[in-house]
Amino acid sequence: MRGRRFLWALALAAALSPAWAQGPSPTASTVAIPDFSGVWHRWFRPGLGPAVSGPGPVTNLSRLNGVSNYNQLAGDYKNPILKPEASALVKKRGDLSLSGVGYETPSNQCWPGGVPYVFWNFGVQILQQPKEVTMVYFHDHEVRRVRMNGAHPAHVAPSWYGDSVGHYEGDTLVIDTVGVKQGPFAMADMYGTPYSQALHVVERYRVVDYDTAKAAIDREAKVNTLYPRGLNAIEFDPNYRGKHLQLELTVEDEGVFTTPWTSVMIYGRPIGAWIEHVCAENTQEYYNNGQSAVPTAKTPDF
Amino acid sequence: MRNGWTISIAAVLALALSPVWQSAKAADTGPVNFSGMWVHPFFPGIEPPAEGPGPVFNLTRRPNGQSNNNQFVGDFSNPILKPEAAAIVKQHGEISQKGLTYPTPSNRCWPSGVPYIFFQPGMQMLQQQDEIVFIYMRNHEVRHVRLNQKHPEHVTPSWYGDSVAHYEGDSLVIDTVGIKADRPYAMVDMFGTPFSAGIHVVERYRMIDYDDAKEAMLRNMKINPRVPDTRADLDYRGKQLQVIFTVEDNGVFTMPWSGAITYEKPKMEWEEIVCADNPFDFFAEKIGAKVPTAAKPDF
Repeated sequence: MRGRRFLWALALAAALSPAWAQGPSPTASTVAIPDFSGVWHRWFRPGLGPAVSGPGPVTNLSRLNGVSNYNQLAGDYKNPILKPEASALVKKRGDLSLSGVGYETPSNQCWPGGVPYVFWNFGVQILQQPKEVTMVYFHDHEVRRVRMNGAHPAHVAPSWYGDSVGHYEGDTLVIDTVGVKQGPFAMADMYGTPYSQALHVVERYRVVDYDTAKAAIDREAKVNTLYPRGLNAIEFDPNYRGKHLQLELTVEDEGVFTTPWTSVMIYGRPIGAWIEHVCAENTQEYYNNGQSAVPTAKTPDF
Repeated sequence: MRNGWTISIAAVLALALSPVWQSAKAADTGPVNFSGMWVHPFFPGIEPPAEGPGPVFNLTRRPNGQSNNNQFVGDFSNPILKPEAAAIVKQHGEISQKGLTYPTPSNRCWPSGVPYIFFQPGMQMLQQQDEIVFIYMRNHEVRHVRLNQKHPEHVTPSWYGDSVAHYEGDSLVIDTVGIKADRPYAMVDMFGTPFSAGIHVVERYRMIDYDDAKEAMLRNMKINPRVPDTRADLDYRGKQLQVIFTVEDNGVFTMPWSGAITYEKPKMEWEEIVCADNPFDFFAEKIGAKVPTAAKPDF
């Protein structure tokens, strides 16, 4: 009886299992791990995408033709997400920029961006493996590792990209990050918004169709600059109508923010192969589309 | 009885409905699975070939015969070097002998290129259906290798070159050309051995038995010191990954030469080593190297 019961159950499992079935069943397709693999291109600079509703990230007060002026980064220090100390830091950096002087950021000093700063990047390659998701960002090959189906250790040693654990919820990859190190030029975005050791970031990735993506793209076009074609090392097809990748970000940090806030960003598929982009080489000056001086040390390090 | 049925069906349903690894693109590792993390706890690293012409090694030795990593004086009399290349290696060594350090890609936080990158203490190989991605531990250097494709007719020089690969039996063969030579600190090793735009590197990766790996490591230990704070699992006796690479460059070398790297299984999680952070001074094996800084913002 027990054996017959097992065989029945085995047959049921076989009928439902995508591995054993001759073709994918509707049930199997709903539980399959979604495929986010490959290279994805982000359309906008320099900030994080706006929230669909509710509190959102700091945006640029300096506008050019109605959109963010990429040559002048003056963060909206009045954004209610900012505590007074954080607001003052954003204002200080904006004042520098408004006076024509640039301030140091991780990306213009060739330092790791950390999370969520790294989302400014204009391209990411996602490598999905059973136990880990690896993310390689385009600019200067920043790499993040996300342990799948794990928990944060009781005591997290701070690191550049923090301790990231992920899991799948239906069609969504959810990544939870804590323990992001406060290195030199520590900031959550290009406006110099600070963060503390309490920073907690949750990313939710899912593939969306063009119509959903377009709504987010149109929303972000009111806030950030759509980077023109021909200036990127990674190129995109403006007529691409296929699947897009949506990242919904939630950031909370009681040391800096008055409230959790969200951001939505859309990625498309780029044209052509991955192209090396090395920060030290620094041929492309993103702020004013010119050439930058390469950072050098006065003496060898060792 | 009813509970037993419920549990059995629930368990099998849970098994059937649980997320399964279906992404063929990500899961296809090719005929041999090399994927995962590997460490190479030797410095400066390149192993001598079993036979034939080999890379430049350090003339400055410790009493035990191993490389003195506080002073890099490349063997400029190595017959692989053309006179101009030998002079450059000698020049670098003389700087080191004076107690000064010359700039290299790794101490200036610039991309290593190939084959310089083989000095790296750790590597992760990610085998995909149409490409192989290498992520090296120090400063997150990344290489993309296209599978079963050809080099373009006109290769645009790049930091890690144009790399194409295919599987040959139990081996992964990678062919690289087009490595950018007009760059700062262009060298194939830490002794300043130069390269030209004509450099061509072929890597052959395969899994080898522990005994063969041990033999290679013992050969290496006669030349290169093992990093004291090793990241390798010393108890591991399974297969290890070895790459034998061949370098030819008519502009610099008199003949093709070979080197090897025998990778070991790590005993630790991947470690973030950021060059700009630079907490570890590889030459002097001490903490506290000076971090490079720019005098003014780039933009």
